[in-house]
Amino acid sequence: MKMISNCLRQRSLLTTQILSRFNSTAIEPATTPVTEDQVAKTKPLDHPDYFRVHNLFTVKDLFDARVHYGHKEGSLNDFMRPYLYGSRLGHLIFDLDITAEHLRKALNFTAHVAYRGGIICFFNRNALNAHLVEKTALESGEYAHTRFWRGGIFTNANHQFGAVTRLPDLCIFLNTQNNILNQHTAVRDSAKMLIPTIGIVDTNCNPNLITYPVPGNDDTPSAIELYCNLFKAAILRGKEERMKFLQDNN
Amino acid sequence: MFHLKQSSQSIGAMVLATSRVTRLMRPSIAVSSRSLCTPASGPPKEVQENISEETLNKISGFAKSFEKQSQLAEPKEVEQNYTFASLLRNSKLMDLGDPVGKVVIGKIFHVVEDDLYIDFGWKFHCVCTRPSVRGEEYVRGARVRIQIKDLELSSRFLGSSTDLTLLEADCKLLGVISSPIRAAVSEK
Repeated sequence: MKMISNCLRQRSLLTTQILSRFNSTAIEPATTPVTEDQVAKTKPLDHPDYFRVHNLFTVKDLFDARVHYGHKEGSLNDFMRPYLYGSRLGHLIFDLDITAEHLRKALNFTAHVAYRGGIICFFNRNALNAHLVEKTALESGEYAHTRFWRGGIFTNANHQFGAVTRLPDLCIFLNTQNNILNQHTAVRDSAKMLIPTIGIVDTNCNPNLITYPVPGNDDTPSAIELYCNLFKAAILRGKEERMKFLQDNN
Repeated sequence: MFHLKQSSQSIGAMVLATSRVTRLMRPSIAVSSRSLCTPASGPPKEVQENISEETLNKISGFAKSFEKQSQLAEPKEVEQNYTFASLLRNSKLMDLGDPVGKVVIGKIFHVVEDDLYIDFGWKFHCVCTRPSVRGEEYVRGARVRIQIKDLELSSRFLGSSTDLTLLEADCKLLGVISSPIRAAVSEK
């Protein structure tokens, strides 16, 4: 039943392809046969939550890890207003339902990127949590950059590293600020190099350039520890599926 | 906890209500000694509940209400769906009220010579200097009493559009409650 529906979906995709090609200047005909492995490849992307990342956490876990705490009203960035539940005697509180929604999307995306064999880079400029982030990156088999960021690492990579470099396929910012005043340069540079980003945005951060912002606390070690564990779990799930898929096909 | 207060008719219930049994507290902390003997595993609990249901029909008066209240004290939070609003409403932050001047318990998580980094459950930690009285007891893992002066050291300076934060709370260190050093000494 599923096979038939998949075939029908492929057929409809083919017909739309032919129709759209009337506008294009393509010479070759669009008759690509639908193979078995193509059907299997589109399966993960069809699911809204293929890796079941919604099982990784609950709103209570976020609450216990103090994710809902924000800064004071004086340092609020206007763009963060839609993510707030309210303010308690001047201290801002995030709406964890909205945060959970965003976090689920971010984890789903991370798992998919890991499934497709993408390079993931963690960023954190808070000295308190730097070691934890580096350890997480090591354990999940990915990369981290928690030190001073030289200007042209993304934008001038070939020149700075001397050879043709492969840039990360996903940048995860556990802290989008460099120091209190400035945003991390890599946020802007990832946007320039068309690298999707996930970022934990606090009340004083600007979520505009980040693809999957996750509004939440980025100052408490317990919150950062929770995020690290969640991202690590998502990445490992994606990689596990990838191993399984590669073994099935070989 | 709230349904306990509604049904408080007898002495046993009043004792339990005054001890502020919350959902998060374990049954061993509740006043009744019966619940201290309650095992944590599944089947024995069911057996005990069945037995106590039968005994409820036979006993009366204070014993009956004692049984009823000790059963109610056992938290039945197997799979309760908490909403964020209810979690926030029942959280310690709301219990605090106006944080200025309140005394809270914190734990030292880092020590740098004479500076103690104390975490008290808030977004930020606070940094206090080591007092001269009983100074050796302030080590990593010690629980201390602190009085909050400000939850976040942030203010707007002239000419800037946003506040400048220090990412720290401002507290006064009152004294030590328990310390790993003291515990080691008392064991000897």
